[in-house]
Amino acid sequence: MATVTYAKASRIYPGTDRAAVDQLDLQIGDGEFLVLVGPSGCGKSTSLRMLAGLEDVDQGAIYINDKDVTNLPPKSRDIAMVFQNYALYPHMTVYENMAFALKLRKTPKSEIDVRVKKAAQMLQLEEYLGRKPKALSGGQRQRVAMGRAIVREPQVFLMDEPLSNLDAKLRVQTRSQIATLQSQLGITTVYVTHDQVEAMTMGHRVAVMLDGVLQQCDTPRALYDRPSNVFVAGFIGSPAMNIKTVQLTDGGAVFGQLVLPLTREQVAAAQSEGGNGQVTVGFRPEDSALVGAGDGGLPIVVDLVEDLGANANVYGHAAINGGEERFVVTTSRAQMPSLGETVYIKPAADHHHAFHAASGVRI
Amino acid sequence: MRHGKYRFLLGALTLPLALYGLLVLWPYLQAFYLAFTDWTGVTSEVNLIGIDNFTRMWSDPLFLAALRHNGLMLLAVPLAVIVVALGLAAGTRGTRVYRVVYFFPQLLSVAIIAVLWQFVYTPNSGLLNGLLTGLGLDSWRHSWLAEPDLALWCVIAVLIWSAIGFYVVLFAAAMESVPADIMEAAAIDGAGELTVFRRITLPLIWDSVQVAWIYLGILALDGFALVQIMTVGPGGPDNSTEVMGLTLYRTAFTYSKFGYASAMGVAIFFLSLTLAVLMLKFTRREKVELA
Repeated sequence: MATVTYAKASRIYPGTDRAAVDQLDLQIGDGEFLVLVGPSGCGKSTSLRMLAGLEDVDQGAIYINDKDVTNLPPKSRDIAMVFQNYALYPHMTVYENMAFALKLRKTPKSEIDVRVKKAAQMLQLEEYLGRKPKALSGGQRQRVAMGRAIVREPQVFLMDEPLSNLDAKLRVQTRSQIATLQSQLGITTVYVTHDQVEAMTMGHRVAVMLDGVLQQCDTPRALYDRPSNVFVAGFIGSPAMNIKTVQLTDGGAVFGQLVLPLTREQVAAAQSEGGNGQVTVGFRPEDSALVGAGDGGLPIVVDLVEDLGANANVYGHAAINGGEERFVVTTSRAQMPSLGETVYIKPAADHHHAFHAASGVRI
Repeated sequence: MRHGKYRFLLGALTLPLALYGLLVLWPYLQAFYLAFTDWTGVTSEVNLIGIDNFTRMWSDPLFLAALRHNGLMLLAVPLAVIVVALGLAAGTRGTRVYRVVYFFPQLLSVAIIAVLWQFVYTPNSGLLNGLLTGLGLDSWRHSWLAEPDLALWCVIAVLIWSAIGFYVVLFAAAMESVPADIMEAAAIDGAGELTVFRRITLPLIWDSVQVAWIYLGILALDGFALVQIMTVGPGGPDNSTEVMGLTLYRTAFTYSKFGYASAMGVAIFFLSLTLAVLMLKFTRREKVELA
């Protein structure tokens, strides 16, 4: 059982000016499932590897349970890691793979046996214990990698995109398995992924990173409801939020014929520090609806309709202030328009987000 | 289509096979035949004498000494080369400069290596004794190649020195093919560098090590060129660096006993073959494939 603390931890690769991870400040509670998410190259994997001890910490520190582990080698940190490519030992059987760490710690043979068998049972690997990794399917290998981490009973689990090599169906299955397993074991877990659906469904809290900088760390619900900046707003949610920078008036943001109301404070904040009379606003496709021609919606011309079965995504464009802007709306199948048709979209009241036009910070 | 394929294969293989038969297989067969004769190499008179050459070989002190020396080389050279090369390859992981330097001896011909080291070992003006004097270790000075107890070890040292570079490169390439995340996983599992090497790296590059044992074994059964050029005699003081290849050469071209020399050649052939088979058998492990 352990807490993890990143205290202004930075990693600057030799020969580069920009930090791969820039002053990361993050507290992870005991038993918490924290997901690090972001686009490729955002520093999420590097952050994880810094915690593992596979990557140097150039500035700042990392603590596990208030113990400074910044300069400890991986083997002294009592952590277990699941790698993207599983990194199973090809010359060892499933049993030997799982027992390796315990053997190195000189755990009694009988106890190793008990722990490996228990983990194998949890992961339905019992019949494969005598096999080599080569003779296993991708999903089985993934479970062996999980098993290797579980038998250790470590302070912290680290997982680096453990599902990215599985096919879509298996990924969804394994996703819930891992989440269930983690809550059963109650071991503090740091999980890296680029997939925001994984992040939102698995994490107790989700930390969104961009260019080595932590953007926001909060519960999935808070990230979705109150993204702290434009990047988080666009990154979380699928299809992505409609985000546009438009003219600011006293009453709100002017969207062609549509005015999104903003509070007095929001207008004031938008005007400060180089707002330049503009404001960035966003509304989610699922927080908007198609309305009739006279109901004050924004007219868009339909370019594409994605029928997802349960509902449909309608993609279209509108001319606003002389430029062409694209929009997407999620609607029921009953309302599905046809291509080229003009429809009227209207964001639900109080479900839009406003950001400073220059800094991108939520206002 | 099928017909055309065979015609192509036949066309491509005829000439190489004919040359191989004429230049490789035929001399082998001739040697096997001559091994049972008393041919002198200078007359056309050839008499079959059965297995006399072979029985004589087993009581020939010179050949037995050579066999003993090759045996010693067989024990020392492969082990030393593999241990040192593995160490250097593991120690220089990721740095190419050293590997190029280690590879230099491989670019020199054996004759040049022999001459160079002859200079190193020269008693009065040699590099080695000069170095020892410089270090104040005058009592360690020796007439390296002239002392029967030392000469063979001097040859063995050169053999090791000249072979290491190639195996450093071979092992380094094999080590690079081991995925980094496997080693990282082992480090996280609690393995120190030595344990990672012993339990992860070595098993995963075992194929290369196995090949190295065989090649180095064959190298250790030879040693002719080094001994011929480097040591006095040649064959060293009191035949202390005599190797089988040298005995064979001298028997044939100095003493004109081609039949007897052929018998030695046949013996060496079977020794090498047996060695290769044994090495393969004893170093065999289940084939590892990187999953």
